[in-house]
Amino acid sequence: MDPDRDDAARLRRSDTDGLAGLMQRHQDRLFRYLLRLTGDEAMAEDVFQQTWLQVAERISRYDAARPFAPWLFRVARNLALDQLRRIRPERLDEADEPVAPAGTGDDPFARAVALERSSRLLDAVGMLAPLDREVLSLRFEAELELKQLAQTLGVPVPTAKARLYRALARLRERLLTRAPAGEWR
Amino acid sequence: MSAHVTELLSLAAAGALDAQEQAQVAAHLGECEACAGEAAAWRRVAAGLGQLSAARPSRAVVARTVEAVEALLAERAERAWNRAALGFLVAFAWTLALLSWVVIDLVAGGLALRLDRPVGEAAAWYAAYLVAGWLAAGVAAAFVGRRAQQEGRIA
Repeated sequence: MDPDRDDAARLRRSDTDGLAGLMQRHQDRLFRYLLRLTGDEAMAEDVFQQTWLQVAERISRYDAARPFAPWLFRVARNLALDQLRRIRPERLDEADEPVAPAGTGDDPFARAVALERSSRLLDAVGMLAPLDREVLSLRFEAELELKQLAQTLGVPVPTAKARLYRALARLRERLLTRAPAGEWR
Repeated sequence: MSAHVTELLSLAAAGALDAQEQAQVAAHLGECEACAGEAAAWRRVAAGLGQLSAARPSRAVVARTVEAVEALLAERAERAWNRAALGFLVAFAWTLALLSWVVIDLVAGGLALRLDRPVGEAAAWYAAYLVAGWLAAGVAAAFVGRRAQQEGRIA
């Protein structure tokens, strides 16, 4: 049996044990996703709380034949994007353009990555547009499969795949930009 | 040598390729050192992305969230109970009213016959009693509802 479905059924009956089970399994990755998408801890905490409230309120709309995680992340996504649009309506798909690449070589990307430290990776991810950060977080931090990722984004699987590809390509640009030129040679 | 698969390497590290694309990548990596190096770099990026953050919601945030959801569930349960109770009371009141009509009609009819009074007068009094009772109940319900609404707004 799927524990998420059991707990969702409990929550539908207003049983708080259902909520406890769902939160225990999903709260950490949900919070990381919100942190990555919003880039702001206070906003992530606020949306985190709103998300679970909305889950409790709308649990009767959850289709138990489908996995719970994409539905949960979709609820969180809608709330987070609403907040982000209020603050910066034009910037969800935009990031600062990278400066010129720091150097060239036979395989600069491989060298940049080899030298990469997690803080640099974090910085590079932080420079991406919110919607690029989002798709990377859903795939790598929340560990959603491509199909679940598509369900969360509310798009067909090929579109989700294209967004993932685009986010990774932009991350590559940022990593190349941030690798110190001297370390490349 | 097969064609380079550079475009597929990032998605390969992300585990987002279909079976055919995966086979294409695997076949090419065996014979191309450049693509194999790039693929290894992407695998490191993918692993790094998975371990980027160990952030967790604070205990205070989790506790606040649980408290808010529990309050919502309690309110929802109370609303459902109130609806059920109200439905029962309305049904009970109607049953009582209809039953009392039969009883009063019998008693009043018997009395009217004994006292030689017209039966319609008793019926008129009964109708007036019913209307007054329902009006009083309606006014009381409106007062109680308004007060509950005000208390909810203040809370």
